Amino acid sequence: MPKKSKFSILILLFLLISIFYPLLVMLLRVEWSTFPDLLSSTAFKNAFNNSLIVTSIATIISITIAYMLAYTLNRTNIKHRAVLKVLLTVPMLIPSISHGLGLINLFGANGIISSIFGFNIIGESGIVMGSILYSFPVAFLMLDDGFNYIDNTMYDSAKILGMSQWETFKNVTMCYMKKPLLSAIFAVFTLIFTDYGVPLAVGGKFITLPVFLYKEVIGLLDFSRGTMIGLFLLIPAFISFIFDNFTKDYSFGEFEGKEYKIEDNITRDSILTLFVYLVIIFIMIIIGSFILYAFVDNYVLNRVFSFKHFEYVLNNELGKYIFNSLLIAIIVSIAGTIIAYFTAYYTARIKEKMSKIAHILTIVSLAIPGIVLGLSYTIGFRDSFIYNTYIILIIVNIVHFIASPYLMAYNALQKVNPNYEVVAKTCNISTFKIIIDVIIPCTKKTIREMIAYFFVNSMITISAVAFLFNTRTMPLSLLINTYEENLMLGEAAIISLIILVFNIIVKGTVYLINRKEHRRSVERENNI
Amino acid sequence: MDNLEIKNLTKIYNKKTVLNNISFSVKNGEFLSILGPSGCGKTTLLKILIGIEKPTTGEIIKEGKNITNLDSAKREMGMVFQNYALFPNMTVLDNVMYALNLKLKNRNKAYEEALKMLKIVNMDEHLNKYPHELSGGQQQRVAIARTLSLNPDIILFDEPMSALDADNRLGLRKELKEIQKKFKTTMIYITHDQEEAFSLSDRVMVMHNGNIEQIDTPNRIYNYPANDYVRNFVTNHLIEKVSSIERCTGIDL
Repeated sequence: MPKKSKFSILILLFLLISIFYPLLVMLLRVEWSTFPDLLSSTAFKNAFNNSLIVTSIATIISITIAYMLAYTLNRTNIKHRAVLKVLLTVPMLIPSISHGLGLINLFGANGIISSIFGFNIIGESGIVMGSILYSFPVAFLMLDDGFNYIDNTMYDSAKILGMSQWETFKNVTMCYMKKPLLSAIFAVFTLIFTDYGVPLAVGGKFITLPVFLYKEVIGLLDFSRGTMIGLFLLIPAFISFIFDNFTKDYSFGEFEGKEYKIEDNITRDSILTLFVYLVIIFIMIIIGSFILYAFVDNYVLNRVFSFKHFEYVLNNELGKYIFNSLLIAIIVSIAGTIIAYFTAYYTARIKEKMSKIAHILTIVSLAIPGIVLGLSYTIGFRDSFIYNTYIILIIVNIVHFIASPYLMAYNALQKVNPNYEVVAKTCNISTFKIIIDVIIPCTKKTIREMIAYFFVNSMITISAVAFLFNTRTMPLSLLINTYEENLMLGEAAIISLIILVFNIIVKGTVYLINRKEHRRSVERENNI
Repeated sequence: MDNLEIKNLTKIYNKKTVLNNISFSVKNGEFLSILGPSGCGKTTLLKILIGIEKPTTGEIIKEGKNITNLDSAKREMGMVFQNYALFPNMTVLDNVMYALNLKLKNRNKAYEEALKMLKIVNMDEHLNKYPHELSGGQQQRVAIARTLSLNPDIILFDEPMSALDADNRLGLRKELKEIQKKFKTTMIYITHDQEEAFSLSDRVMVMHNGNIEQIDTPNRIYNYPANDYVRNFVTNHLIEKVSSIERCTGIDL
């Protein structure tokens, strides 16, 4: 018993210091007397309205696209599902600011496409487009997962009862998909509402709330006002957090995994297949624009192949930034996975009162937007020894991204047979040894996914680290912002590509290992 | 000689009494079944015996020693679970060898011992298979071999056959009886299946609502039920059996 308690105290202490201490300090330093001024200022009102408008529009479109994609991959006879699913999630491998950059390349003032037709999307429509681009894969993955938990025997019952297609959709599909759909809507809304990468890149004079906060803090160094704006960014995140944790799941426990029988319908299949390919083509055009901008001298004035931009970034300490990014991403993925895994082990497999508290504390971090977390770290740890070091960047990333990998581990560990520890006890084997020899091998697929999640997100994040870096510790993702601000689109494109390549390597490796393992087990079964 | 003595055991969860001051003893080499419907407290009792749960009050005496607060590992007891609890990442052989190897610190000896045990449960043809490649009955045989191999004084069974189909259950029941004869290990067997309890056990303990209703030989429980609960419990089962035989054969019994 004493061992367990020590461990739980360690976890709780980490969570309290890394999440709640900085938030508390941040709130205590606010000059609340200026709050009414902020609320009544035109700048704030405009930013708030702007945010609300673009977020609402982008969320509706993003969810519609995501639902159509998930539906197509699960409910039509489309081929190469696995490959398409991977391609559709490629946007998650580059920073949000890169999506804005891609849009500028294509539809900006002198963009590849816009210059032909004589228009540009800088401002409201740019933000909407960019936000859709980087948020739809998140919703797509959630909805795709939701389709897996539908009890497909219900469709047979619906047919026997003579339900129409609409009734079946309303009563069967929506019964199961309501929760994933609402979760996806909340998640996407929060994501877009709190992001400043896209609006910073393509917003022009159209200021959204996160950009307003960013400018107050970076430009005017007004931390108090920054915090007050940050509180508004917390609202949707908090609503979605409460929704997710206090609504019951619609997937009713276990059922036989009967496959859905897809009926032949060539019209439906061809239209939706075309749609999926159009989305993928659009993603590829964005990435293609990076390549074009990176290796063309000047797209507007001098369209010739050139290593000019590449040489420029190479001569401007590219090595240092890559080193910073990799150092941070690798340590975050290793340390973050260990912390998330053992916290999940504690909350999923050791049932005591404290474990419930630890569970809630860990997922609360999901409700804190990166930009607010980053701001709280700036204020909370300004006088500590970790300020201005890699350590603070590493910790802020771990805390920022811990909720998802934690939940992956939590779900996986709950599924592992609950009696292994008892077997260990009766066989005189230590719990730690059984974790290493049995429980970790049983969950290694999840562990790989956790590592990849931490790595990719640490590589692409700008929100949590924006206020915390210095010239020595600056990661690649922030370099995009710097180049973009100086209208060095070629250089910014190269950095985006470098991040993409590293993320593809890591994601690809995990994918290949998982596939190899899966094939090996299938082969074994065929041999028996 | 009494191998295990349980004295005035009480367990209270959130003000609910799960075990109500129960006392009984188990003789050396005895096969005792604990029979009762779900929620009667039998699983809690098992958890307290193995040491993963502490009683609110009461004592467990094993061979004269008070083991109430002793670590599970030091109780020299083994446990067989309903869901087998085999390590999915290890083969049949490794599942049995894993703990043996740590105990004996000698790979060859551990291998020989594991092989011996797997032969006894008729699983020596499947040494290199993984648990998911075996049937439920086969998995439970491996789990029994794993538990037996460590040579515990007492083996606790937590409804080990309730996930198996009828055929498998009969086969395993027979084997278990033979194993018990051969090893003379004390066995405490939890079940809600009367037939299983009555056919396997030297004595049966009928539990209900955290109390022991009766503890006696199967024969005496049938013929001299201690109270109405036991009588109804036993006769209901008999009536069901008789009526199903009647339906099948068409003979009016």
